[in-house]
Amino acid sequence: MRSLKHFFEQSWLLIVASFFFGLLIAATNAALSPRIEMNKVTKLTSLARGLLPQAEKFAPLRERIEIQGSDGKQQEVAVYKALADDSTVGWTFKAVGSGFADKIELVVAVDEAFETLAGFDVLMSNETPGFGDQIKASFFRDQFAGAPAAGLSLVNTGNTEEIDDKIVAISGATVSSTAVVETINHYLAQVKEQLQKKGLIGNGSES
Amino acid sequence: MAANPDGQAGLYRDTLLAGLWRENPVFRLLLGMCPTLAVTAAVKPAFTMGCCVIFVLLCSNIMVSLMRDLLKPHLRILMFTLTISTFVTIADLFLKAFQPRMSEALGPYVPLIIVNCIIICRAEACASKHPVLLSIVDALGMGAGFTLTLCVLAGIRELLGTGKVFEIQVMPSGFVPWAALGMPVGAFLTLGFLLGFINLISKKRS
Repeated sequence: MRSLKHFFEQSWLLIVASFFFGLLIAATNAALSPRIEMNKVTKLTSLARGLLPQAEKFAPLRERIEIQGSDGKQQEVAVYKALADDSTVGWTFKAVGSGFADKIELVVAVDEAFETLAGFDVLMSNETPGFGDQIKASFFRDQFAGAPAAGLSLVNTGNTEEIDDKIVAISGATVSSTAVVETINHYLAQVKEQLQKKGLIGNGSES
Repeated sequence: MAANPDGQAGLYRDTLLAGLWRENPVFRLLLGMCPTLAVTAAVKPAFTMGCCVIFVLLCSNIMVSLMRDLLKPHLRILMFTLTISTFVTIADLFLKAFQPRMSEALGPYVPLIIVNCIIICRAEACASKHPVLLSIVDALGMGAGFTLTLCVLAGIRELLGTGKVFEIQVMPSGFVPWAALGMPVGAFLTLGFLLGFINLISKKRS
């Protein structure tokens, strides 16, 4: 009993301050999180517009798309339908993977049949300046525009201007290059499967 | 407190000016070197970082000063860190909500204000020993000194590194930008030259 009294005598201010500051952060977060989310969506759609220039607007899917993350847990993916004259011209979604220094957040865009990649852009990355952050450079990103939307593989040497399923890694940034390719592969396969299951795209057997 | 109004006014003036020159956190105390070197490639991020530090310094000094009589000596650093991290989180959320591009440009350096020595130094040296008003004046002086220093460094680096200030072209069209000043080496060089210059002025004055 005495030790409990001593504990509260010593730490009551810390306990009260922790509650107060916790409440302050929670209130600020509650007030600002809608705006922060809106900023993220605005950035995602503006990057997607650069990848799918024919799109007039991006509509978030009403259907819930869930995939299995690299950690084995189910996670929801924000998928947007790219529309022009009310017809689908492509799909775009946010993909998250583990980079060299921190997680990498990408915007991936594909055509309306989910067969060909329209490209990717970087939403957030803290990769090493001059090396890993070259994933944002056009010489690397351009290899994805027009590549097949499945089974991309990373190679150390090759022609970066040749558009196929082989992606030439950035010299000195193999971990970051691998992270991008693996993240895109991981999401492409599962998002495509989910969209097929929900009947939003063909299953590829009609042709 | 108000027994000697002139004396109090002088104390507040001295405290305010101390942060700008005599105890300037960057040039005299060499505190907060991480943001000083990392976010001074351009004036806009430097100014934003300075404003964030002023906000955190002001709020943490007020809170610490209000709590000063209740602080247990062995728990005070924990209380300072708790207070500072709360206001840094709030500043970070505000930046993300209202200045998303600047928040991205500053990256991890806004959350890193939590470990900025200037703030914990002022909490320990001033706010935990003095009343609220003096702590506010101290926070404003130190914050202004830090912001001013960052802006001077960033102004020189942006001007010579890109030919612009606040992203507005200032140098004539024939000017060849000194690209190295935009890189980390430029931060060290500019800070070194400015420190040397400030020391020279101080020696001449004394």
